[in-house]
Amino acid sequence: MVSAGVTDDRDAAQRLLARRRGAWSLALWSAVGLGALLLLLAKSVQNSSEFGRLQPWILLLNIAGVLTLTVLLVRKLWQLVRDYRNHVPGSRLTARTVIIFGALVIAPLLIVYLSSLEFLNRGIDSWFRVEVRQGLKDALVLSRAALDLRVEECSRRTELLARSLAARSRVEIQTRLDEERRATAASEIILFGAHERIFAASLENPLASLLLTPPADLVRRVNDHRPYVSLEPQSNGQYLIRIGAPLGESSTSPDDRYVMAVYPVPEQLAGLSDAVQRAYSQYGNLAALREPLKYSFSLTLTLVLLLAMLAACYGAIFSAQRLVRPVQDLIAGTRAVGKGDFDTRLPLPSRDEMGFLVHSFNDMTKRLRRAHEEATRSQQAVERERERLGVILARLSTGVLAVDRTLTVRMANEAAGAILGTDLSAATGRSLPELSAGNERLGQFVAALAVRFARGREEWREQLDLESGATHGAHGRRNLMCACTPLPNEQGDRGYVIVFDDITTLLQAQRDAAWGEVARRLAHEIKNPLTPIQLSAERLRRRLLASMGPRDAEILERATHTIVQQVESMQQMVNAFSEYARAPEIRVSRFSLNQLVTEVAELYRSQDPRAAIHLSLDERLEGIEADRGRVRQILNNLVTNALEALEGAPQPRLEIATRLEAGEEGQHEDNYAAVAVCDNGPGFQRELLGRVFDPYVTSKPKGTGLGLAIVKKIVEEHGGRIEADNRPEGGARVRVLLPVVDSTRTAAGARDRRDQLRRERA
Amino acid sequence: MPRRFARPQRASRRSPTGGGWRSLAAVAGALLLVLSSTLVLANALDGALEVSSAYVNFDHGVIQLYAHIEYPLNPAIREALQDGVTLTFDVEARVDRVRRLWFDANVVDLTLRRELAYHVVTDRFVVRDVRSGDQQSFDTLKEALTYLGKVENWPILVEPQLDGGRYIISVRAGVRRGKLPASLRALLFWTDDWQRVSKWYSWSLPV
Repeated sequence: MVSAGVTDDRDAAQRLLARRRGAWSLALWSAVGLGALLLLLAKSVQNSSEFGRLQPWILLLNIAGVLTLTVLLVRKLWQLVRDYRNHVPGSRLTARTVIIFGALVIAPLLIVYLSSLEFLNRGIDSWFRVEVRQGLKDALVLSRAALDLRVEECSRRTELLARSLAARSRVEIQTRLDEERRATAASEIILFGAHERIFAASLENPLASLLLTPPADLVRRVNDHRPYVSLEPQSNGQYLIRIGAPLGESSTSPDDRYVMAVYPVPEQLAGLSDAVQRAYSQYGNLAALREPLKYSFSLTLTLVLLLAMLAACYGAIFSAQRLVRPVQDLIAGTRAVGKGDFDTRLPLPSRDEMGFLVHSFNDMTKRLRRAHEEATRSQQAVERERERLGVILARLSTGVLAVDRTLTVRMANEAAGAILGTDLSAATGRSLPELSAGNERLGQFVAALAVRFARGREEWREQLDLESGATHGAHGRRNLMCACTPLPNEQGDRGYVIVFDDITTLLQAQRDAAWGEVARRLAHEIKNPLTPIQLSAERLRRRLLASMGPRDAEILERATHTIVQQVESMQQMVNAFSEYARAPEIRVSRFSLNQLVTEVAELYRSQDPRAAIHLSLDERLEGIEADRGRVRQILNNLVTNALEALEGAPQPRLEIATRLEAGEEGQHEDNYAAVAVCDNGPGFQRELLGRVFDPYVTSKPKGTGLGLAIVKKIVEEHGGRIEADNRPEGGARVRVLLPVVDSTRTAAGARDRRDQLRRERA
Repeated sequence: MPRRFARPQRASRRSPTGGGWRSLAAVAGALLLVLSSTLVLANALDGALEVSSAYVNFDHGVIQLYAHIEYPLNPAIREALQDGVTLTFDVEARVDRVRRLWFDANVVDLTLRRELAYHVVTDRFVVRDVRSGDQQSFDTLKEALTYLGKVENWPILVEPQLDGGRYIISVRAGVRRGKLPASLRALLFWTDDWQRVSKWYSWSLPV
């Protein structure tokens, strides 16, 4: 039990450890995920070129986070709803806590979300105000106007120059170009001929401009005799005004030469214009981001809100379940204890009040279990004691009977039933008067108890003599030494324990011993003077008879004859007593009982032809081991007794029957040879029936009363038994049972047979 | 005298990157596709975007790339440009050495980056080479795009870099809205429909 408790504690500790490990691993994975996300974000912000590569991972992590949280949350919610519907203990508390937690977290989150969204939209809108755009456009118009003035002037001068060059010679043209370039601060003025061949050129930096060719657009336009004007931005923030002007005024003119002049824009104007251009470009780039930016911010914010809300809800459920789990454990533990499971041990959740409560609960169940174990042990001890007592009581030869005042049986051992001649194994709870119906011996016993209880006697010790019907013979009488004691510590209905011993055999043995002693003394004290008396009487007769007269002689003759006859009679009696008292000396031999019975019958038939002796012999009875002479004595005594009883009977009939009776276990050693001697005489007197085997118990006018006593003695010396009763149709019956195999050869066999005899007698 | 290789057959479109991350990239791509299909209804850079032809020339030990690219041209692009938006045009060239038992080895990975902007003061379209800073202006957007679509004499490799074996040259073009602060671009990954990349145009280079 102790080891079971330790195992339970260990299991509980392992469960708690696993739970904590799960929570830690969840937190660890969340931290890793968050860390990875932050790292990716930081990398992408620091290096925009990395962004393209990391973008899918950022998305993947976010979506995976949302999906994971959603799945976890749905699972938790489903579990919560199911528990709530099934009225699982603690589910209502969990649901309430989750709702409160959720409301407390979600409401501020939503407020922050909505206000942030509004703020973002307004903030981004405020970056792109209409006034700013308008201001930029105005600045643009202004700078264009300023530049247009310059372009127009350059264009006009170039056209004038072209017209002035039409009729001039090459030298004049070169001079004119140089003058013009210097006058207008142009960077280059070139006169092209057919196929873009340079006719004359005036260059500010001849080396830098040598490879310059006129733009295709310019060529196309001047070939159409139309002027070309363009303002070209330079990479250094400067502007160039490129003018192309044909020398011929119309398409019909044969002169296909044209002038290309390039003028720089003054630095200040160029700088201002470039600043306007850059501002416009930047504004344009930013303005293009306006809607996507708002959209992205909103989506990011929504994703963050979603993550936060899911995490908050999951956290709320997780925390609530964690909070409620010890309570659930306590409820489950209490139920288990209620059902008798005292091995319940709850895991200690923490060191807080709940932990103290759980600790107290565990302590309580531990004490309960100890108490329960103690009670179980005591109960087992009581049971063992009761079983032991039951075994002792069952093995006792003394009858033990526990009854209450109404004589209802509470307990009865086997011996009690055996002594009282009934089966009391199923008598518990039944009343003795009810059980005694049809059982005379038990009826007498119950009556004796009832009488004593009625007189208010609770503690007594007496001998009860129970008589049974005539048909039961001598073995129907029982002498019980009975003691009654009230049971201690009985409340209300008092109980009594009645202990009784069957002392019938003991009394019989005492009687036998006493008679044996009497017989021995009689034989010793009387036999000695008898011979001198007889001899004296005969001597008197011999001496005096011759000297006496006829009258005296007759008197003497009669007197001495009487003396001698009586002395002989007394000697016979003393011999009988001596026979009865003599120590047994059995000479066992194997002989045929049937043959012996036949011999005895023949002997009596020859002596008394009137005797109608009928034999009924069992062929199976082959031979027995016994003292042949003493068995013959048994038969002689029984037949003599019967014939004496039949004297005067109208149709005397004597039956001698032998029978092989199998033992209980069907073995040859356990078999008995039964000899029954029956007559149709008057039978035993009812009052003598129980004592017919006692010495000097006789109904005959003559006889020593030792015949049946000697028979009984011989039978018992052979390990057999004898019964006497009256036949229902009239007449007496004496039944002798002798073991087929000499019982004295094996002590165990003798003991078993004695037990069997006791049981059968009961 | 520069040797000129015959224009190769249009090679199979194979990714020059290794296959190790393909499955993950596919998952990410699928997620992106789902996301983009829900968030972005139409791309602003609609129109043809492809490398229609490309080849290389050996000229004194230098391998020069020639390519012709078609860039999209639609009113939205014009309007955006006129509103001041700058577009970045990238031409990416990769040379990978084919390995039989392992991922291909990257020999060269170059990007030719140019920006196209509308110069509102001069009413011209300006193309600027980001690396050199050189710029050219055009009267029309079409001219500017034609200029951008013609890549000539782009030295991508010198002969000593080739040490035998089979090489794969891949070219692709991309357009995106440029000139964004990195922090802002990080926020734009949800809805940036101003970004497109053509398929890779690849062919093998025998040595």
